[in-house]
Amino acid sequence: MHLFLAIIKESVIFAWAALAANRLRTFLSLLGITIGIFSIITVFTIVDSLEHNLRNGIEELGNNVVYIHKWPWDFNEDFPWWKYMNRPVPTVQEFDKLNGRVNTAEAMAFHVAGRKSVKYKNNTVENITITGGSYEYDRISTFDIAEGRYFTEAESTAGRNICIIGSTIAETLFSNGEYAIGKQIKIGGRNIQVIGIFKKQGESLLGNSTDTQVLVPVNYIRNFVDIRSENLDPYIAVKAKPGITNEQLKDELKGLMRGIRQLSPETTEDFALNETKVISQGFDGMFEVVGLAGWIIGGFSILVGGFGIANIMFVSVRERTSLIGIQKSLGAKNYFILMQFLFESVFLSMLGGLIGLLLIWGLTLLIGDSAGMEIFLSRSNVILGITISFLIGVVSGFVPAYGASQLDPVEAIRSN
Amino acid sequence: MKRPKIISIICIIGFLWIVFTFPGMFSPATKKLGDWVPAVYGFIIALSFISYIGVWHMKRWGVEIYIGVVCIKQIFFLFTDQMGMGAIIGAAFSLWFIITFLFYYRRMSLNL
Repeated sequence: MHLFLAIIKESVIFAWAALAANRLRTFLSLLGITIGIFSIITVFTIVDSLEHNLRNGIEELGNNVVYIHKWPWDFNEDFPWWKYMNRPVPTVQEFDKLNGRVNTAEAMAFHVAGRKSVKYKNNTVENITITGGSYEYDRISTFDIAEGRYFTEAESTAGRNICIIGSTIAETLFSNGEYAIGKQIKIGGRNIQVIGIFKKQGESLLGNSTDTQVLVPVNYIRNFVDIRSENLDPYIAVKAKPGITNEQLKDELKGLMRGIRQLSPETTEDFALNETKVISQGFDGMFEVVGLAGWIIGGFSILVGGFGIANIMFVSVRERTSLIGIQKSLGAKNYFILMQFLFESVFLSMLGGLIGLLLIWGLTLLIGDSAGMEIFLSRSNVILGITISFLIGVVSGFVPAYGASQLDPVEAIRSN
Repeated sequence: MKRPKIISIICIIGFLWIVFTFPGMFSPATKKLGDWVPAVYGFIIALSFISYIGVWHMKRWGVEIYIGVVCIKQIFFLFTDQMGMGAIIGAAFSLWFIITFLFYYRRMSLNL
């Protein structure tokens, strides 16, 4: 073991000396691998970050929530949209009836959303999502309140003119440093009191960030907008009880909704029961294509980098042929010569790979949140980058190193 | 000793197989199986490459490494649940390669 470590140490010293002696050549060989690792891991980092952000957005909608909608979410090329055109939208009355009957649900909420301008004194925020939610909306949707509070059941039922605003809206409307809670803001010309501010969430790729949302009780919003309008996308969200599967919940909801809408057994449903898994399945195909593109682009870069290293190693062996001859005539074993050149190749390749990874890491820090989503270099990509560098070093360096180890000492010394 | 033609053919098939399967190491499908799966897969390919170099030069260590790699590969496929038709055909080819290598094993060199 001690002898093996001594050989490794000596091989590393030899390799380092050889690399340091030809700095320009070393730099150019490094560049090939650096660019290769940089391009392949950059693509994987972007794809992983994109996927992570989208999955988070979908998770916020709830994995164990079933959405009663007019339209099904599983759109595809053969989607028969004309079949669904005349369907009625879910209503508050249906929500109330369902609320009293469903046994497998932990919570349920009615939801509508439209766009309006929000005003406070001279500050205006245009085109903001105004969400109308029933009392249990906070149990269906994932959000935190940074300041203030959520609606009470009495406020929600009575339809009080109160709201919870997003952090970006609060920053814009109360830019003069005023305390937002308790202030009256104007939505569509009506005074509404701010009772809470959502915790900053950052941008969501699904566009469901609470930062730019205003949440009001649905019983208040129905006073001045038509919540039966399809433009407001009304739906009922139902969360399953612990231990109840989405399928069980859907079975019960299907039966209850058919009863509420008085559909005869031979009539097909005029509502859709949607799940968030449909959205994530829709994105799976896209990620596969992007990942594949990155794989092809990066694969070619790595291949070029590998050939660069192999070429430089052949040159290196040729240049040092007489030195190899002297080493062998002084008693150096074949495996020592092999290790020496193999270490040089692996060292060169790994150095290039690590520089590539460092560049990506620096880039992720530099970009930060300015890309509209969190970009991060994951552990799996670091492992992949290091492994690829190591293996490229082994594969491209083995043939020149083995060739060097097989040289005849006498012929090698005479070669110059 | 002179390399038999069948060994040359097997080695060329092996080198081509490595060229085509190496990119599979960082394919999205392999990455999905786990953080360390691409690394293990890569090591299998690199060791296969080294073993073919050994066999090409008619060295016994090449055959020994090859047999080891084939065993590791089958265990890896079993653990990652990839024992499909492709893996079975691959295993059959590997078995044929091993039998051929063992046939010429005594005529191979013991040295590095």
